[in-house]
Amino acid sequence: MTPEKAINLSQWVESYTTELYSWAFYKLSDSEQAKDLVQDTFLAAAEKIDGFKGESTPKTWLFSIINHKIIDFYRKKVSHPVSIEDQSFSEFFESNGEWKRNKKPQNWQEDNEIQLLDDEEFQSVLKKCINSLPEKWNTCVKLKYLTKKNGQDICQELGMTPSNFWQVIHRAKLQLRSCVEKNWFKELVRKKRQ
Amino acid sequence: MKKLMHILFLSCIKATELIEKKIYFKLSLKEKLQLKIHKLMCDACSNYEKQSIIIEKCIEIQQKKQHSEIDITDFKKQITANLEKIKN
Repeated sequence: MTPEKAINLSQWVESYTTELYSWAFYKLSDSEQAKDLVQDTFLAAAEKIDGFKGESTPKTWLFSIINHKIIDFYRKKVSHPVSIEDQSFSEFFESNGEWKRNKKPQNWQEDNEIQLLDDEEFQSVLKKCINSLPEKWNTCVKLKYLTKKNGQDICQELGMTPSNFWQVIHRAKLQLRSCVEKNWFKELVRKKRQ
Repeated sequence: MKKLMHILFLSCIKATELIEKKIYFKLSLKEKLQLKIHKLMCDACSNYEKQSIIIEKCIEIQQKKQHSEIDITDFKKQITANLEKIKN
């Protein structure tokens, strides 16, 4: 690296760190991991800076590096297969595809959906349930909201087929819904009875 | 009889799969119709759909609420220090 390019790089750290970090955080929703990626991006930039000919702006160049890193990050996460997948269907359904008697979704008597969205108790139970999901499911569930992308694009980003993707989502949602019912709705009913 | 019903109007496992698919992808006309009729006959799956949508909305709200604040000045110093390290 020539001294001149080293100066460039430190100017870029000054100018673009904030934006790179906000972007990474928006995509990952985890500040430690977002920081790591920004770090890595500048390290990669330092390595490759001789190849930077100034054909695009430094900002565009840095963002293309970090975007690759974000995709890699998610790919790595979903590439570890989850072994409990098949088990999870038989947890909810009979072999003929009907709900198991004790697993049928009950009526939560939510007269007002908006109320539920504001309900702190409900939100906190849901948060716990999401965190207890296997990592691959967790990633798929989160990715949708973080990127606002449609199914097709998310699949491409993750290198998954659409059917594989919504099956992961399907299992994740079965698990989530039942976790919320058990820890929130049934608790609520129990408390009311007392 | 039940088997025939499942073929025509889906089993619950298949119906819930379509409910999830619908959130991300477009269903075919046949799938839409099958799902609609299945829900008319099945309270459990109707509850499932309502609750699944509530959960979707809640996750979205939670993601928006997360804070992203860190000490940027400090972070910049850290990056610069690491860049110094690899230079030497």
